[in-house]
Parts: sequence; structure tokens; C-alpha cells
Amino acid sequence: MTARAAKYALLILAVLVTVAPVYWMITISLKAEVDQFSSPPKWFAFAPTLAHYHDALFVRSFGRYLMTSAVAAVASTVCAMVAGTLAGYALARLRWPGRLDRRLSLWILSTRMFPPILSAIPFFVMMSDLGLRNSVLSLVVVYTGMNLPFVVWMMRGFFREIPREVEEAAMVDGDTRLGALWRVLLPMARPGLAATAIFCLIISWNEFLFALALTQTDASMTLPVGIAGRVTQYETKWGVMSAAGVIAMLPILIFALAVQRHLVRGLSLGAVKG
Amino acid sequence: MDVRLENVTKRFGGRAAVDRLDLAIEAGEFIVLLGPSGCGKTTTLRMLAGLEDATEGNIFIGGERVNDKPTRHRDVAMVFQNYALYPHMTVAENIAYPLRVRRAARGDIEGRVRAVAGLLEIDGLLKRRPRELSGGERQRVALARAIIREPRVYLMDEPLSNLDARLRLQMRGELKRLQHELGTTTIYVTHDQAEAMTLAHRVALMRGGKLQQFDTPINIYNRPANRFVAEFVGSPSMNFIDGQLERESRTFISGGLALTIGESELEMLSAREQVTLGVRPEHVELSMSEREGWTTARVHVTEMMGNETLVFLRLGGERIVARAAGDFRADIDAPVWARFDTARAVFFDIDSGESILKSG
Repeated sequence: MTARAAKYALLILAVLVTVAPVYWMITISLKAEVDQFSSPPKWFAFAPTLAHYHDALFVRSFGRYLMTSAVAAVASTVCAMVAGTLAGYALARLRWPGRLDRRLSLWILSTRMFPPILSAIPFFVMMSDLGLRNSVLSLVVVYTGMNLPFVVWMMRGFFREIPREVEEAAMVDGDTRLGALWRVLLPMARPGLAATAIFCLIISWNEFLFALALTQTDASMTLPVGIAGRVTQYETKWGVMSAAGVIAMLPILIFALAVQRHLVRGLSLGAVKG
Repeated sequence: MDVRLENVTKRFGGRAAVDRLDLAIEAGEFIVLLGPSGCGKTTTLRMLAGLEDATEGNIFIGGERVNDKPTRHRDVAMVFQNYALYPHMTVAENIAYPLRVRRAARGDIEGRVRAVAGLLEIDGLLKRRPRELSGGERQRVALARAIIREPRVYLMDEPLSNLDARLRLQMRGELKRLQHELGTTTIYVTHDQAEAMTLAHRVALMRGGKLQQFDTPINIYNRPANRFVAEFVGSPSMNFIDGQLERESRTFISGGLALTIGESELEMLSAREQVTLGVRPEHVELSMSEREGWTTARVHVTEMMGNETLVFLRLGGERIVARAAGDFRADIDAPVWARFDTARAVFFDIDSGESILKSG
């Protein structure tokens, strides 16, 4: 009984630690500036205001940042998923001489083994030369490259879980390899696809480093860069930043809730043999 | 459609999984590839399907060389050991898949799905998904998917091995009937000799990638090509006794055992002095009382099956199994007398294990 109670206490503590900053951010975004850092803090009782949201979306450019972030995240996720799924399939299923598939897989993964900042400067130079600086396209390219190894590895793992015979049956039944992939394998790997896609989306959506290096104009800035930009030498706009933070959180939260069923199955797919 | 394998070899790395295999299968035949695991039977089937490339040799279907033809153009249908149904599709969609990928007309597909489902008595399951089906039902769906488009050849890879014993027996009969009705060339892989004997027009017995014998079930049983074939087919297995031939007395001698050999058998064995004698359990007759010329033995253990009793004997240094009537009773270690029907015995070369067969 006490062990059970302790377990729950620990869980509640973990939830509190995780959720407390989010709660604090949400309340700050709804508080007038006088209430934000009053002492003692006003946990619940304050007069809520939507002024910061109005400010963020209509006075400042957070609406535009939101669009840029959305384009960068969605486009790069789509690109990485298409290319990574095909590559993952090839590495999982095709015959490679001399275990080349393992070497290639490791090589692909190795691109994620160094700190990303190492490639920030080369990317900056490359994008400048290509005239892609301050354009969302540069972010799409960089995020696609960043997510690709992850997608390749995840999808390779998911495809390996699917019995080979199912695919062979499809080909004996008269389908092409790509047809079998499209009609049989991908529907079977749907939980894996959903889980992988949402990870890509979250990573691109929250990416800060490359966005900061590659985009400086209001028109090309993403939400994280835009939010950070509100910390200036003279003032820190906590209300607007919090409101923008909440806005940034919502799309991912909604998407995650929508695909939650797939997500949970996808995350456990590697462990339990279907 | 006739199927021919010419000198087909498949090597994985350096190991030959299938070694210079020649098989000529006639149109409409039910052929069983039989052998222990790792004998190359499944690899052979997969080469026919185009799922593996032959390292050497030629594969013909309907007189046409198909070595370089991709799987989907070979027009064969395959039933896999674990059924390989498409889990995200309903039964109807599973069965319709081969027609769908060939872009058949929708109305046409529906009619044929219903017809095939009716034939296999799964018309009540069409809306279910594979995970909601029992093993036997899945098996039927896999069969339905194979027969819906009337392919040139059926390939079946141990399709009954995942079913329980009763269902396996039932499906075995139905499969035989189905093949008879459809009349399509069928190549069936199994390690179960009972399935091979009951289903096949001809059995191809393989071992270590090499074909041992390709013949009718009755010839495989009565005239095995070598000791391996004799041992693999038949349950319980054939008894093997190594011994000497004494020509003057026309006897085969092994330990305490002395058996009289007929004139024609002796002639067939020509100048050999050492041979292995093989005798099926049903050709060992038993008696509880002493008889003139019978060999004495002791009961090691008996197994009552109801319809028959298997009697395991100790005879000199040898262990012999005999098939006796269902009402045969003997205590452990009781003395019995045995008679070997040497006219129906098979002799094997003691070194090579090849059988020494009567001509004709």
C-alpha cells in the first residue's frame, strides 16, 4: 500500500516538474504586467487579459513567424519522410553486397554524431552563396537534412518488423516492388510513420540554432527566433513572449492529440513483436 | 502448365542450398517437395516464384525460360507457411488483391471474390480482418487469394504446418480435392512425409540440396532409392540391420539373427558379402509362442495405438520395431518370436547406402 502511494507521489511530482513551467507560461501570457511578478505570486487569482495575444498576433509579427515556422516544419517533414522512408525501405529490404547496408546506415547516422553548431557556419556560407539566406527554403533544406538520418533509421526499423513474406506475397500476387510498398507495407507501418513524422515536426518546429543563423529578417524568422528576439538589451516582454510560446505549443499539441493512438503504438512497436 | 528445372543450383555464399537439381513436372501434376529442414525444398520453391535467383541452371514454366522474369510476370500463386495475409485489409480485400493490382473491372472482382469465397466456405467472413480469424480460416483466405486468378502454377510452402492436427487432416483432404477440381499444376513443400504420401502424384525427396528420388509415393515407399529415403518415409521408420551374406546356406547373418534369403534376392545382391537389410515394421511378424525358424527377441516396450500396436524389440544388439495387430499384448521384457518377410525387404549397399534394387 505504501509502495503504491510512493509510486503515485513520485508520478505526481514528475508531472508537476514537467507541467509547472508550462502552467507558469500560460498564466503569464494571461496576466497583466503588474501581476506577472508580484510577490507573493498570484497562482490563480488574477484578472485574465488577452492583451498579450492581441499584441503578439496583430501588433508584432508573430502571426508571420507562425506561418514561416509552419512552412519550414511541414515542408521539411514531408521531404524527410518521403526520402527517408524510401531509403529506410531500401536499407531494410534490398540486397546489398558485402553488408553495405550496415555501413551506409551507420554512415547516415554519423551525420548526427557531431554537435549541430559545427555545421552552422558552413550552412551559413553555403546559403549565402546560393542566395537563400533569409528564405524559408534554406530552413526546409537544412531541416530535411537534419531529420533524414532519424527518419531513415526509424523507418528501417519499422520495415524490419514487418514479415518479409507479406511483401513477397504482394509481389507474387502481381504487384511491383513500389506497389507493394505503397499498398501493403506503408499501411502496415502506419503507426511508425505517424510517430516518426511527429518527431520530425517537433524537432523542426522547435529548432532554434539554424533558424537564428540563417534568418534575420521579420519575413523569414521562425517562431523560436522571433520569441527570443523579444529579449532585448532594454526590456524583456514576458507577456508577449509567453503568449507566443503558448501559440507555438498549440499546433504540435493538437497534432499529437490527433495521432496519439498511432504514436503510442509506434513508440512500442520496436519493443513488442507484432 | 508444365514446369521444368534444369541443372538448377542456388548458392548462398559458398554453400549450395540447391545442388544441380533436375525436375520435370507435367501439367496438372501435384508434386510434393519433401525433405528435412535445410534440404533446399523451400529455396527451390522460391526460385520458381522468382523470390530467389538461381545461381546456375534454367527454370521453365510452360516451356518458357523464366529465370530473368520478375515475380509478378511469372503468373504463379504462392501460399506461404504463415499465410502472409495483408493485416490492414478485410478478407474480401485480401482475396481481391491479385485482381486489383492487375486492374480488373470492379464488378468482375466482386463476383469472383464471392465465387472463390463460396468454394472455400469463407463467404461469411468477407468483412472481417485477418486478426479476427482462426488459423484454419486464415489458411482458407490465403488459399482463396491464391486461386482467384487462375495462375499457371500453385506454389505452396508448408501451408498446413501451422494448423492443429485435426484441422490439418481435414485441410489436407480438401486441398487434394481442390487441386483435382482445378487441375492446376501444384508444387507443395513439406517436411511431413504423411502429407507428401497422401497429396502427391509424385514426390521429390531432397537432402542437402540434392534430389534423392523423384517418384510416385508408392514407389518411394516400396522401392526407396537409398537408405535416407527409406528412413525418411514411413512411420515408424524402416528397420536397418547390417550383416553378412552366406551364399551356401542362403542366409543373412547379423549377431544372433539368421534370415533365409530367396534365390532372386541373392542373385540381385551378386557378389556382395556385406549388406544392410531394410525391413518395414509391417513386414515383421510376431508370435508369443516359439515357432520353427522364427527368431527370438525380447519386448523393449509396446505402444498401443488402438488400431495397431507398435512393438519395439531387442534382438541381439539391434533395436527392431514391428507393427502388430491392435489387440497384440506383450509385457515389457517378455520373450517373443519374430519372422522377417525377406521377400519384401530392401537391401542397401553397406557403404554408400544406395539401394540394390530388383530389376523391373
